[in-house]
Amino acid sequence: MPQTENPSREKILARIRTALREPAPRHEAAGASAIFAPVTGLLDRFQKECAINLTEYVAVPNLRASGAAIKEILAALPPGEIFVQDSPDLRELASEWQDGRMIQWSSEGGPKESSQATISACEALVAQTGSVLVSAACGGRGASVVAPVHIVVATVTQLLPDIDAALARVQERGIVAQNSFLCLITGSSRTADIEKILVMGAHGPRRLIVVLAMS
Amino acid sequence: MSSAAQEFLRRAVEKSADLTHRQIIRRGVDQYSSANDRGRSRFSDWEAARQRCHEIKWEALNNLDRYLLEFEQRVKERGGHVFWAADSAEACRYITELAVSRGVRKMVKSKSMVAEEIHLSPALEKVGVQAIETDLGEYIVQLRDEPPYHIVTPAMHLTRKDIAALFKEKLGDVDTDDPVELVAAARRALRRDFFSAEMGISGANFLVADAGMIAVTTNEGNGRLCTSVPRIHVALAGIEKVIPRLQDLAVFWPVLATAGTGQPITCYNTLIGGPRKPNEVDGPEEFHVVLLDNGRSELLADVEQRDVLHCIRCGACLNVCPVFRTVGGHTYGTTYPGPIGSVLTPHLRGLDEFQHLSYASSLCGACTDACPVKIDLHHHLLENRRNAVNRSTRPWTERIGFKIWQWTMGSAARFRFMGGLARMALRAAHRLGLDGTAFDPMGPWSKNHAAPRVPEKSFRALWGKDHAAN
Repeated sequence: MPQTENPSREKILARIRTALREPAPRHEAAGASAIFAPVTGLLDRFQKECAINLTEYVAVPNLRASGAAIKEILAALPPGEIFVQDSPDLRELASEWQDGRMIQWSSEGGPKESSQATISACEALVAQTGSVLVSAACGGRGASVVAPVHIVVATVTQLLPDIDAALARVQERGIVAQNSFLCLITGSSRTADIEKILVMGAHGPRRLIVVLAMS
Repeated sequence: MSSAAQEFLRRAVEKSADLTHRQIIRRGVDQYSSANDRGRSRFSDWEAARQRCHEIKWEALNNLDRYLLEFEQRVKERGGHVFWAADSAEACRYITELAVSRGVRKMVKSKSMVAEEIHLSPALEKVGVQAIETDLGEYIVQLRDEPPYHIVTPAMHLTRKDIAALFKEKLGDVDTDDPVELVAAARRALRRDFFSAEMGISGANFLVADAGMIAVTTNEGNGRLCTSVPRIHVALAGIEKVIPRLQDLAVFWPVLATAGTGQPITCYNTLIGGPRKPNEVDGPEEFHVVLLDNGRSELLADVEQRDVLHCIRCGACLNVCPVFRTVGGHTYGTTYPGPIGSVLTPHLRGLDEFQHLSYASSLCGACTDACPVKIDLHHHLLENRRNAVNRSTRPWTERIGFKIWQWTMGSAARFRFMGGLARMALRAAHRLGLDGTAFDPMGPWSKNHAAPRVPEKSFRALWGKDHAAN
């Protein structure tokens, strides 16, 4: 592909540099008080925030037990394909819940519009806001938005106090550099564009479910 | 008076007398304001958050060239393209040529005020590309062939009955005013478009320099589908959107959500840098960022008002503005309505044509207090008034009037003399029966207000008498 031609690039940069010869005034800081109270009791807080943002929270004793929890969730869904992030953990878990369901693995391409649910891991959980941080490595961009139900399989060791810590984590571990996509997800898709009335499942999932393994 | 000013006044008169409209807006902003209170209470110090946002934006804007170049380099390293557009025409040309050369027939768009600013959708339609809004509010106003009413909630002025009637006419498969059903109908219609479009267009809430990624905030998830499913993604953003560090989002994301809707944080805060990588499951094959100047570098040169470029388009100043609440978003006739629009539009589209917006304010300062990045909005409105006066673009009658006023206020004797003269003139006009006619000196005032009767004695005379009696 040819290099993008940029006839105005230098002109705009020159205008910016001329404009910046004089510095702008700034508001003085009144004092260095904390913006957010430090997050303590991570698991408790995460659970509370999930309740506020309408994320369904399912605690299981260990990763292996996630299988049974997923099976129960899927049993209540209409028949149809399930899209799953292709990872060794989730492959192993699939035998616990598959029960005749069609599975599309992320290694076979992005989720179809007809998928009934997607199952993926995540990069981190955020206690401060009850959020899930995913990257392209968690089954791709569509995994968390195409199907009506998104099930996230996570362990309690992934739980971080706040957004600040989560962003630091993904940067330190090279996840930002390695992925073209990251998303901090808080609850499922919603809109209040009609008379400010909250409606769930606008364009993305109607349900976000976090299955959290305690060990 | 400019034609834009005449239109503004005409619509303002009409809208402020429309009680249904006022009721709808009041309900909308009341709900916002209680959600916003709850949202703010989640911060241990909201003022500290505003200060931090101000400082980050100050740093970014006052080193804009450096951070834009860093952003550009990182995006290119990720395999993306960066195009610098001096004005609307250049930005539209780049995107339409890209669409035509890649055989694009259908484009899905998530919310972007910059796309509104450059009139991107009409430009695409002109070259035969169907442009579809996918944010529910934007979709509704697009079906009505209207501009967005509000920066954050574009269909704020409509009731569910209006929307039900619209959907029944345009979509056909829905006959209810239940918001859940209406949303489901839009979802069904738009899903077909997401999966058949070749190009997705998004705005960007932030351009993150050190990560080489754009940050897009959305509740509905439409912004995510627009940037995941079609094979080309074009992100459109003003040059002022850059921030230095990824870490800065730890404060900007919650602040944007709280100021915008009152939420603690928006559902989807997405970061996108480059097209799909070879090992990734999905995503576009091409990623383009269009950086738009369109008057912003000129505003940057205005040291006094440089902080207008700090704006994160949260819409908080609209919600708290007594003028916006009364006249509504469409009255402004500008891409950006409300206080931020009144400050910004004269810079983008000319002070002569849009100076009237500097007066669309009570100078109460609610906007300045609400602004999460501490833009001194109401003082900027005053500065724009001053600039308009200095450039002699005010009418000569006004200039003479103020000369007389200045002379009058210069001494107590002149004030007494002119006060007496004015009382005599007004009483004479009243006796001659000029009230309400073209010759009524109080005409411009009494057209919209009940004019008080001129008292027999001046305040000064009454004061003197009472004090003499004591």
